[in-house]
Amino acid sequence: MTESRKSRLTRPETLTAVGIIVVAAGFLVPTYDLRAISALLPAAMLIGLIVLSVFLLLADQRKASAGEDAAPMTKAPKRVIGAFLMIVSYALACDFVGFYVSTAVTIPLVAWTFGYRSPVGLLIATVIVVGTIWAIFDFGMSQDFPTGRLWGR
Amino acid sequence: MYSDLFHALPDVFAWTNFAAVVIGVIAGIVVGAMPGLSATMAISVLVPFTFGLEPLVALGLMAGIYNGAMYGGAIPAVLLRIPGTPAAVATTFDGYPMAQKGEGGFALQVAVVSSSIGGIASAFALMLLAPPLSKVTLLFGPSEVFWVAVFGLASIIFLLGGNPVKGLISACFGVFVSVIGSDPIYGNDRFTFGQLEMLDGINIVILLVGLYALPPVIDLLETPLKTDGVNSSKLGTEPIWKALPRMNYWKTWLRGSLLGIWIGILPGAGGSMAAFMSYNEARRTSKHPEKWGEGEPEGVAAAEVANNADTASALIPALTLGIPGTAVAAVMLGGLLVHGLQPGPMLFRDNPDIVFGFMWQFLFGAILLVLLGGSLATNSFARLLNLPRPLLGSVIIVLMLIGVYSIHGRMFDVYLMLGFGAIGWVMDRLKFPLPPVVLGLILGGFAEENLRLALRIGRGDPMVLFQNTTSLILVALTVAVVVGPTLKKRFIDRREKA
Repeated sequence: MTESRKSRLTRPETLTAVGIIVVAAGFLVPTYDLRAISALLPAAMLIGLIVLSVFLLLADQRKASAGEDAAPMTKAPKRVIGAFLMIVSYALACDFVGFYVSTAVTIPLVAWTFGYRSPVGLLIATVIVVGTIWAIFDFGMSQDFPTGRLWGR
Repeated sequence: MYSDLFHALPDVFAWTNFAAVVIGVIAGIVVGAMPGLSATMAISVLVPFTFGLEPLVALGLMAGIYNGAMYGGAIPAVLLRIPGTPAAVATTFDGYPMAQKGEGGFALQVAVVSSSIGGIASAFALMLLAPPLSKVTLLFGPSEVFWVAVFGLASIIFLLGGNPVKGLISACFGVFVSVIGSDPIYGNDRFTFGQLEMLDGINIVILLVGLYALPPVIDLLETPLKTDGVNSSKLGTEPIWKALPRMNYWKTWLRGSLLGIWIGILPGAGGSMAAFMSYNEARRTSKHPEKWGEGEPEGVAAAEVANNADTASALIPALTLGIPGTAVAAVMLGGLLVHGLQPGPMLFRDNPDIVFGFMWQFLFGAILLVLLGGSLATNSFARLLNLPRPLLGSVIIVLMLIGVYSIHGRMFDVYLMLGFGAIGWVMDRLKFPLPPVVLGLILGGFAEENLRLALRIGRGDPMVLFQNTTSLILVALTVAVVVGPTLKKRFIDRREKA
């Protein structure tokens, strides 16, 4: 199979290897301010990551030279991006709006968006999950949940 | 001293004390089965509630929760590839492929029986070895503990699979994450970038939930909805007594129990390492190692027997020396102190009924696993897969947030978890192995601390690491683990060519 990408530098493993090299090199900078013994293990690991990523990069580019195609990371990029965004949005909503409101909205919203279209099922599931969380964690364990920065609490 | 063991037995059978173990096991299974929640968290929450309880009621609850949670972690590990507890990571390797092949019920039965056997072996070890082994563990200095950690990391080599470079990258990443936070000796910040939340380092639960829970949730949402959800009959569930004859894993159970007990005794190592080592050893000695990772029941047995064999044995150094073998054991020490029980040799002399009663409770907790865990696992938790995938995904997202948020009660940890989740998703898709990251995090800080302690004792001379027989044996074992597979492969290749 031949390389289907316009540039072989956009292969996932190549991009990942470059990313690791850049990030590891960035993390190496603060190690100069540490005592030698404190910096020993982290510096060794970061240098190890850089060297190993170079190996990974070379191996992947060698595969590209040989005409081996790299499989895409996902067949449904929109769904994956959507899922990530929804999860991040839920975390932000919990932080700024509050846990219970965000959870009561997120459970049916995520399930509906990704294909579960039973209003009754969604309602029952939301009530059961939110109710159980309240009963076990809030009522039973006195666990505090985020109440929402927007409300100043 | 052993006569005290039997004197303690009647107290254990007092109905309140026995009921505490039963409730503890059920609660432990539920907690273990919920990703993000752990035995450590459950026992930490429980300790303040036990002030007013009799010591054996409180300790029975703790023993039950510990036993139950160590098995409970296998339930989502098998059904969803999400380890409910860190120790269940190795259970995912073969448990999840079994569930995908429609053998999830049998996988859970193997897990519960193996967990019970491991727990029973561990309880016996605690009863019989605690007093004499206290002398052996006293011989372990920092250099030996360092080599134990190195040996644990080196054993990852067996898990690297096809691409050792990717495995090593995973391990380096894990060890690097372990050094984030305050320097254990000098106290200066390392890679915290001014964030106070990171001074104590990265909590392993945050990393675990990110790496192991988020990618499967994305998978659940990425794949279009399928209405033919797996049901319990498709899981292949049958009564546990019918499944027992199919479980002929005595060698694996024996080896895993011994490994788990040994790892449990070593301070700091814990159930994850025991499960990994047992899994590796069982795979190495298997006649069909190529089947491992594709749904081999013996893989589930190897992991589960070892992670439960480490439970009671982790209390051997905790009860005799006050050195907890695991995080859960450390929390349990706190529970003992709440009831005025000071760990150490005096505990055995001053409170034999309580300390030996506690040991019996571990034994009965392990036996109860088959009765309570077996039915719960096969009849109730197997139905988890009947849930519509998007709904299951959204519920897991909520559980992930609760689990991570409840560690310190702050959203910073949740954002950190999401970061690790993104990294985990990329690693998963590019076939970077995730277990070395976890083991690197578990053993990295542990290895560093003991290495630096050893070097300080040796006034900076690295030869201090090689100056006693135990260290040299551990070095030899580490070299054998690293070089062994390559030599074996070459030997087999040559023989095939010849």
